[in-house]
Amino acid sequence: MKKIYCNIKKCLGCGSCEIACAVEHSKSKKLNKAIEESPLPIKRRKAQFVMQGVAISTGCHHCEEAACVAACMSGAMYKDKKTGETKHDKDKCVGCWMCIMSCPFGVLAREKQEKIVVKCDLCADREVPACVEACPTGALLFGTLKEFEKKLSSIKKG
Amino acid sequence: MKYVIIGCSAAGVNAVEAIRSKDKKSKITVISDEKKPLYSRCLISYLLAGTIDNNKLWYRPDSFFKENKVDALLGVAAEKIDADKKEIILSNKEKVKFDKLLLATGAAPKMENIPGVATKGVFPLRTLNQTLEIQSALAKVKHVAVLGGGLIGLRAAYALKSRGKEVSVFVRSPQILSQIIDDGAAGIMQRHIEAKGIKIETGKAASKIFGKDSVKSIVLGDNSEYGCELVIIGKGVSPNIKIAKDAGIKTNWGVVSNEFQRTSDDNIFAAGDVCESYDIALEGPSINAIWPVACEQGRTAGLNMLGESQAYDGSLAMNSLEFFGLPVISIGITKPKKDIYKEIIKKDEVKNIYKKIVLRDDVIVGAVFLNSIDSIGIVGTLIKNKVNVSSIKDIILEDYFDYGRIANLIKEAKQGFKEQEFKETIMTL
Repeated sequence: MKKIYCNIKKCLGCGSCEIACAVEHSKSKKLNKAIEESPLPIKRRKAQFVMQGVAISTGCHHCEEAACVAACMSGAMYKDKKTGETKHDKDKCVGCWMCIMSCPFGVLAREKQEKIVVKCDLCADREVPACVEACPTGALLFGTLKEFEKKLSSIKKG
Repeated sequence: MKYVIIGCSAAGVNAVEAIRSKDKKSKITVISDEKKPLYSRCLISYLLAGTIDNNKLWYRPDSFFKENKVDALLGVAAEKIDADKKEIILSNKEKVKFDKLLLATGAAPKMENIPGVATKGVFPLRTLNQTLEIQSALAKVKHVAVLGGGLIGLRAAYALKSRGKEVSVFVRSPQILSQIIDDGAAGIMQRHIEAKGIKIETGKAASKIFGKDSVKSIVLGDNSEYGCELVIIGKGVSPNIKIAKDAGIKTNWGVVSNEFQRTSDDNIFAAGDVCESYDIALEGPSINAIWPVACEQGRTAGLNMLGESQAYDGSLAMNSLEFFGLPVISIGITKPKKDIYKEIIKKDEVKNIYKKIVLRDDVIVGAVFLNSIDSIGIVGTLIKNKVNVSSIKDIILEDYFDYGRIANLIKEAKQGFKEQEFKETIMTL
């Protein structure tokens, strides 16, 4: 399936992906307005540090055997049978946080006012997710595992 | 091949889906004593609270049985299994043949063994029917006694308080949620709940329920009396093993199953709240009667009924609770009793945060996170994969702890982390 991969060798941990994600999921989709919205838009991607000078941008991995889907007792979290994407239906979510308890990567966030979970939706309205577009070093790739591997080997050769 | 599944909650439904994902033709029969079983049991307290309405209860559509070509026998109970004849006898005396059978019979609420427990107005909270009965009794209720301070008891108390009732919870143990979290987290949660107007009395148990036509009061061990028109019993559940035991299938506390969810009978499987099998943290048999485990075991059972050889890694006790905006999540062993365990605790009284991990030989076997829960899934990963955390144990409870901090450990790990997604994240590390 197509999802977002991070090349740790290129990731600076600058947080551009986080900002782009939060803005994309804001009401206005504009940074200057998004920062004044209430509730504040929530990022579904996190730039994290592995050690000094080594970073990784992490979001939902759309796991094949998604633990969050097994844990979801309201049927809000589900796998899209066509795309393989792990999707979340906010109308069904009751905010029990069982998916947060189960996510192996700790990438689900809480919208505390509405009491629902929010997660990476691969920017359903866009061709390329906002985080990937915003990454200044090209560390993020939106594609299949094969495409990611191909890109990595072309970097090595280059 | 004829597949039969007894029980149609999380485990049964997931087994149906697993079987149908690979076998579109064979006959699948599901037997449930509930007429409309496709509701989420975990949501009934939300319904009672009025947080959700009835149409949000259904985690699978009505078309589920048709779409999966399931012969659903609803509103009938499976009464007996003849393992030799591979036959089930139903409460309507009909017989159902099977080649492979799944026992997803679930659990039943433990009722208090005290005088008056059969009085009108005394309810457990396990099924949708019970919830609806409680709802219809509510108009005449002002005071509620909840017996038991576990998950169901407190969820019921929260729900009924939300409905404007005066609620008192009587807890035999010295702390609430004694099966789920440690006393440190429980104390904070208890004060929080009490501040919102629910009375909680620990170390107190009911000895009698009074009332002729319906409940009038309960009597406590010290002979004091509490007047109430409704009693909710939240004393935990016990697995429905009778049908298996009578059929000669190996049972202990639950129906004993191996990692393939197979019972002592090769053609009979068990999954969900009835199933006793390997627990990752305890490194021994246990029953973890929770939704995610029921789903995973149901799915595993379904695949193995097809003839595959899918092993389940084992279950973990896990619970997520939130009362009046204060969340707490626990995983694995939270109240270690032996000194082979070590604890690391972080408290922040200003932010009202309490976090704890329990370690055995530098491997995490349990965790409690209160009011700061977002990273507990990563701790779950460390527990499941039995990672030696000596190099990071001092930062696990810090706010900045995240997946990046364990990436190196995953790369170095010689075992565990079977899922492809872990490999994908560290390919470039």
